[in-house]
Amino acid sequence: MCHIRKANSSMQQGDALPTIEKKISQAQVERYAEAAGDFNPIHIDPDFATGAQFGGAVLEGTIAHGMMILASVSEMLTLAFGERWLDSGRLKVRFRGPVYPGETISAFGNVKSVNETDECRNVVCAVGVRKQNGEIVISGDAAVSVALDG
Amino acid sequence: MIDYSTLQPGQRLSHELLTLDADSIAAYVDAVSDSSRPVSAEGAPLAPPMAIAALALSAVINALQIPGGTIHAGQELEFGKAMPVGATLTCNATLAQNSMRRGWRFLVVNLTAADSGGNAVMSGKSTIMLPE
Repeated sequence: MCHIRKANSSMQQGDALPTIEKKISQAQVERYAEAAGDFNPIHIDPDFATGAQFGGAVLEGTIAHGMMILASVSEMLTLAFGERWLDSGRLKVRFRGPVYPGETISAFGNVKSVNETDECRNVVCAVGVRKQNGEIVISGDAAVSVALDG
Repeated sequence: MIDYSTLQPGQRLSHELLTLDADSIAAYVDAVSDSSRPVSAEGAPLAPPMAIAALALSAVINALQIPGGTIHAGQELEFGKAMPVGATLTCNATLAQNSMRRGWRFLVVNLTAADSGGNAVMSGKSTIMLPE
């Protein structure tokens, strides 16, 4: 449970955000397709997906939706910043590589900078998702404004 | 079948009301196995912000009849207001850019979601690559 009035306002440059680790399954990908209304066959049809292109790479099978993997970054930021993430969060990422069912992902982040005003702290974080083999599949920045009395 | 080469920057792609009903949010939370479960100060469950983004994006996917093999290349999001489960949002999508590179068509789509009072809840920019 995330108690929104307890957003972490004490983050300092270099601090790590709580890591989120998940193993991705094909069943989960299919549930996401239903929930998000995204039935692109590269996510749900192995025959279509195998040999399809991902940028310059050739896929070996179905892959998870990028937004599904990105959800773990938002989950991490919600756990770190509570409601401040929901009402002031900003995120900019690139989807750099595919995640296959059966792979384990870790969402990670650390504080890049903290700028304080009279009323709030603006916290900028480097965020991303890496696979168990070390490959970074999502990378980017997130920012949130945390009230000093929060 | 949409001729994507004819889509023009500034063109509206979708406009719809999106209700963050409990079943839809529960299905989303289950699919992404989100453990954060944000709640308001009054204890009311709040929609995960990425659920709003994903559901708003689904309208674009439908409107554009995205072909198989389309890749999501990049995403920008800005959240302006926490929304309780059950709220209804107005979502709009417009085309920002349309270009070809290395055999892929790049579409950049601007997304917005506002609450019933017109307050900005989410805005974003999705970059998708369609195979040509």
